[in-house]
Amino acid sequence: MKRLVYINDDSRRYSYCDNRISNTKYTLWNFFPKNLWEQFRRFMNQYFLLIACLQLWSRITPVSPVTTWGPLIIIFIVSASKEAWDDYNRYLSDKKANERNVWVVKDGVRRQIKAQDIHVGDIVCLHENDEIPCDLVLIGTSDPQGICYIETSALDGETDLKTRIVPPISANMSVEQLEKVKGIVECPNPDNDIRRFDANMRLFLPSVDNEKCPLTINNTLLQSCYLRYTEWACGVAVYTGNETKSGMSRGTAEPKLTAADAMIDKLTIAIFMLQIVVVLVLGYFGNIWKHTKGLKQWYLMYPAEGPWYGFLVIPLRFELLCSIMIPISIKVTLDLAKGVYAKFIDWDEQMFDWETNTPAHSANTAISEDLGQVEYILSDKTGTLTENRMIFKRCCINNIMYGNDNGDALKDARLLNAVSSNDPDIVKFLMVMALCNTVVPVKSNDDTVSYKAQSQDEEALVNAASNLNMMLISKDSSTAEICFNESKFKYELLDVLEFTSDRKRMSVVVKEGQTGKILLLSKGADEAILPRVYPGQQKQRYLEAVEMYSQLGLRTLCLGWRDLEEDEYKEWSKNFQEASCSLENRESKIAEVCDSLERDLHILGVTAIEDRLQDGVPETIKLLRNAGINVWMLTGDKQNTAIQIGRLCNLITSEPNSQLLSISGKTEQDILRSLERALLITKNTCETKDLAFVLDGWALEILQKHSKESFTRLAMLSKTAICCRMTPLQKAQLVAILKSVGYLTLAIGDGGNDVRMIQEANIGVGISGREGLQAARAADYSIGKFKFLKRLILIHGRYSYNRTAFISQYSFYKSLLICFIQILFAFLSGFSGTSLFNSISLMAYNVFYTSLPVMTIIFDKDISETTVLQYPQILLHSQAGRLLNPTTFCGWFGRSLYHALVIFFITICAYADEKSEMQELSMVALSGCIWLQAFVVMMDSNSFTSPQIILIWGNFVAFYMINLILSAVPSLQLYTIMFRLCGQPSYWITMALTVAVAMGPVMAFRYFRNLYWPSPINILQQIEQSNGSIQPSRNVESALKPARTNLTNLLTGTRGSRGSSYQPLLSDSAESTR
Amino acid sequence: MHNVLGERNVSATEVSLSCADSKFTQQELPACKPLLTPGIVIGAFSLIGIVFVPIGLASLSASQDIVELVDRYDAECVSANDKVGFIQDTKTDKACTRKITVPKPMKGPVHIYYQLENFYQNHRRYVKSRNDKQLRYKDSASMITNCEPEATGQDGAPIVPCGLIAWSLFNDTYSFSLNKKAVEVNKKNIAWDSDKNKKFGSDVYPHNFQNGGLIGGAKLNEKLPLSEQEDLIVWMRTAALPTFRKLYGRIEADIMANDEISVVIQNNYNTYSFGGTKALVLSTTSWIGGRNNFIGVAYVAIGGICLFLAMAFVVLYVLKPRTLGDPSYLSWNKENPDQPN
Repeated sequence: MKRLVYINDDSRRYSYCDNRISNTKYTLWNFFPKNLWEQFRRFMNQYFLLIACLQLWSRITPVSPVTTWGPLIIIFIVSASKEAWDDYNRYLSDKKANERNVWVVKDGVRRQIKAQDIHVGDIVCLHENDEIPCDLVLIGTSDPQGICYIETSALDGETDLKTRIVPPISANMSVEQLEKVKGIVECPNPDNDIRRFDANMRLFLPSVDNEKCPLTINNTLLQSCYLRYTEWACGVAVYTGNETKSGMSRGTAEPKLTAADAMIDKLTIAIFMLQIVVVLVLGYFGNIWKHTKGLKQWYLMYPAEGPWYGFLVIPLRFELLCSIMIPISIKVTLDLAKGVYAKFIDWDEQMFDWETNTPAHSANTAISEDLGQVEYILSDKTGTLTENRMIFKRCCINNIMYGNDNGDALKDARLLNAVSSNDPDIVKFLMVMALCNTVVPVKSNDDTVSYKAQSQDEEALVNAASNLNMMLISKDSSTAEICFNESKFKYELLDVLEFTSDRKRMSVVVKEGQTGKILLLSKGADEAILPRVYPGQQKQRYLEAVEMYSQLGLRTLCLGWRDLEEDEYKEWSKNFQEASCSLENRESKIAEVCDSLERDLHILGVTAIEDRLQDGVPETIKLLRNAGINVWMLTGDKQNTAIQIGRLCNLITSEPNSQLLSISGKTEQDILRSLERALLITKNTCETKDLAFVLDGWALEILQKHSKESFTRLAMLSKTAICCRMTPLQKAQLVAILKSVGYLTLAIGDGGNDVRMIQEANIGVGISGREGLQAARAADYSIGKFKFLKRLILIHGRYSYNRTAFISQYSFYKSLLICFIQILFAFLSGFSGTSLFNSISLMAYNVFYTSLPVMTIIFDKDISETTVLQYPQILLHSQAGRLLNPTTFCGWFGRSLYHALVIFFITICAYADEKSEMQELSMVALSGCIWLQAFVVMMDSNSFTSPQIILIWGNFVAFYMINLILSAVPSLQLYTIMFRLCGQPSYWITMALTVAVAMGPVMAFRYFRNLYWPSPINILQQIEQSNGSIQPSRNVESALKPARTNLTNLLTGTRGSRGSSYQPLLSDSAESTR
Repeated sequence: MHNVLGERNVSATEVSLSCADSKFTQQELPACKPLLTPGIVIGAFSLIGIVFVPIGLASLSASQDIVELVDRYDAECVSANDKVGFIQDTKTDKACTRKITVPKPMKGPVHIYYQLENFYQNHRRYVKSRNDKQLRYKDSASMITNCEPEATGQDGAPIVPCGLIAWSLFNDTYSFSLNKKAVEVNKKNIAWDSDKNKKFGSDVYPHNFQNGGLIGGAKLNEKLPLSEQEDLIVWMRTAALPTFRKLYGRIEADIMANDEISVVIQNNYNTYSFGGTKALVLSTTSWIGGRNNFIGVAYVAIGGICLFLAMAFVVLYVLKPRTLGDPSYLSWNKENPDQPN
């Protein structure tokens, strides 16, 4: 499908949408219904609404309806206002963007209109530093050569300047002509490919021959980029509004639900099922009792004939009575706890980047516990693992290696001497460094020259050359001037043979100003340059240099040159022009033509550029891998560099222990075959060997299309992968593949090109780094340095998971506890649905008495931070969900049932006969619950800090205070009850008995388990205890080796059992030995 | 860029400000981490045992010292075969004399209870069927919500006190004689003072009570305010269990061993139609309340079990010692998969 854009033609402008951007989720009108609908998609909310409605029926309600309606309405209002506020802010920022003023030309007149009123076909004029309002085809700039510079960081995250060229057809047009120009642009329908724009333009001008002119991405100005170093530029709007390339690549961020949340939802449904069963059974018993016994109990005065729905009344009553089984407070409690986890992350001083003064920040407060369950980390390379600061470090010229001694060639005396003595090889080498690039020198006012480059490597080379006295002074599209040792040389730039990922090299053809000699200057990857040397050149030394530099993790480039004959060049130039204008397969045709010129090169030398790894990256990756997390590197960068960096940062180990499986090939068949091969090797290799696959963007595209399943299988088996030349979309696709098979993924990146992947992943982490803040803004968490990731995951993530696991299960425990007591009471009250507890107690039980102590767990640490970092394997425990799964939940369930039985039977036995007064008995049972829950929290806390002790026992005291106060109010049923109870010795004796009977077995069981079947956490706690502070013992170090194997076993073990059955805590040691 | 830097500086100062409570924000509050080590656990169980056994023995002996006489009379006091018909007949004389011999001396005051079994005072229909406002305030006579089906009389006027609980008030009466000599039963102060003072109005008089076609239980003296109708107040403290005792009165005098108590029971209350039982209970009290061996037995049992467990743990620990915190037990450090746990 094609889109035809009529330039500057008002009559045809309305066929496409205007330039209004909209990121909002709601409108003013649909907010209420849509938000309500969204909230009601949550099962819990539906459930509580149903309960609240049932409670309005006074015939069946055991307690006052306010007990459910109040909390429900509050929860709704809170969530709705949060949504509304967020959406309003989105609306404001959209509005700001839409109402920005831009200059457009209409009928030859310049006018200022709002950005939202731009239509396809309008000619938009931009000034320096303007943000580009929509996708434009460039037709004129202030530069006589028709060049302008844009910064695309908002689009692809690259901060360097990009050059954009006016297409030849409209070059050299005057401003007046531009304002009146008419024509047609033929372009594809909107898509999200920011690297591709295959279109044609035809202008209706008498002065210009009426020919189709091909357009590429180099002729476009894309929305959300900035115009730099160009006084003005104007272009034709081709895509507007949400149809622009940037608009199409903008993914909507779905609200994220953590794995723990999903588990809680599952457990909720299970409890709901149980509740239905209980209700049906008790309801059935109730009806039976009513008919066999109830009718005979004359004092109940059952009417002989009930209403037709009579049989429903008792089950519904039990439904309401049992509705407390599902804790209404769980969401609020968890939200509160999650808010605190997020704050802990914000506050963490050890994640504060002092270099840039950036604190860690969690923008999404709801998903901290997912951090503790991360299985895959997908990391960007440049700027994330590395500092994104390229520095020229070494070189090898004419078989001499410079910079080997002190690691910096710029300080190598031999090189400096050679430069000052005008060594011809060195001069040529520096000339190639200075000329063979697309760097733009920018002269500032004080005559110093700074360089703007598309690639940081080129910038590093030019800077290095200028440090070695070879200055690139000025450059435009046809000439370049360099200055060496105070003397200036002029060169005519004839052609640029551009860099592509396939060619892995770039060349320029220049004509020496003085001699008129034509030279081909090339630079590129070793495998792209070295095979193209003239026969007889010695390559051995250079190969060694490349190898050595690669080992050091330096990015290497080979430089070469050759003389061109006038005739040879002319002929080639013609072919090149032809290829450049072809509409089909343009890229491959150009490559072919370039190929024919780039041969018989004289190798000048090898440069080595360092992109320093960020501080602590190798250690962090090693630690994370030890913690059972698989780390993948996704980069837009070249394969070689990626692999080198991978080596350097412990992602892949050296040869004997690891193997790199490359998935590549020229054709689709080749790629598919290499995938099959990789899959086979991966399956058949023993697990001690690290296998990593290497993949590039093109291969991924093919695999996505033809062999998604096998690739997914390979992805599941591979602990490491290096994916190069990835587009932002492909990064996101990889995340999606891993997510689709149920893995918990974390994506970390720093640039705008990582935004999609960050939004796609379960957890997105942004590095607030040199490539701007887009990633950090889109991410759930932003940190200053990659190394903070280990703290984020191992410390914050793990603690958050542990704490959420406790809080959620405990919430169910306490609800079940009181509900079971109600159910047990039904057996003694003729299954009539009497509530043992009064409304006040029931409401306060959930809201006050039990919610505070559980919050203390947010201060709890099972093992200290140092221990976690020393034994990162412990993360496997939370990763596999060992603390929150059906098995552990059964434990809590059983405990609540046992505790309910203990409380109930001790209460009715101790308070039998003349003491069996309803209010007293209910308060005894309630006190029993309060005592037990205090002890349960105590038993399950691992460490006690002062707030914990204050909250647990303060709550305990508060319970008595509140009830004593309530007991002083004559109108309440509770009047004087607590005073009476507290005065009875038997009350206190009963409480002590309840605690002993309920907690004794729990303690004995714990003790046995800790001693004879300890979980790794128990062992680490014991190690901590016995060492005071832990020292790395010899034992541990020596144990590390087998640790890796067992780690793998454990990993695969948990993988295997994932989803089907969760291994209980006790058996994980057994499992690991499988 | 300037803006961004500005923001960052602000947050940096924030961070430094929060250094004051950094122990909290950095999650570094001093903490104690007790572990379930053998010492602690064995100590805890021994302690529980040592504390519980004496308390249990004390409770048990206190409970044993209480003299409790239970006399079930529902069956014996009705000779007719049609028990329900007998009890529902208002004209027959339902007096019934029971003789009880006292095995041990009982120190006064001796509490007199009636005990009902299989009577569901906790049934939802029953337990809700009252109106506390009406009982408390003179002007609230018409407040009869929740009182259905005993809310209004046949004439439509509200019943005071309304509801099933009041309507079904227990109406057996007992008169005692000790060794053939009449003994006075003190029926004052059998209800809670709090109920008399705050829950039942001193200016609220029964009205329209038990006037309907169906008579439930006792009638009330319309001259007495509710706050002085102590039998009603006791009855309206509903019991949580289907078997319960309610205080009927006290005998202030001491009773000697082998004394014979004879009780004349007006057997009016119908427990026959639903198979309930009635019993008369005479009991002394002590600090643990009435006679109830449960607490004592439970304490001794739990204490014993704890002591046993403590010893068992010691033995187990000696027989099968374990080093706590041995890293070789870590699952990922295990070299030998077959190593027994």
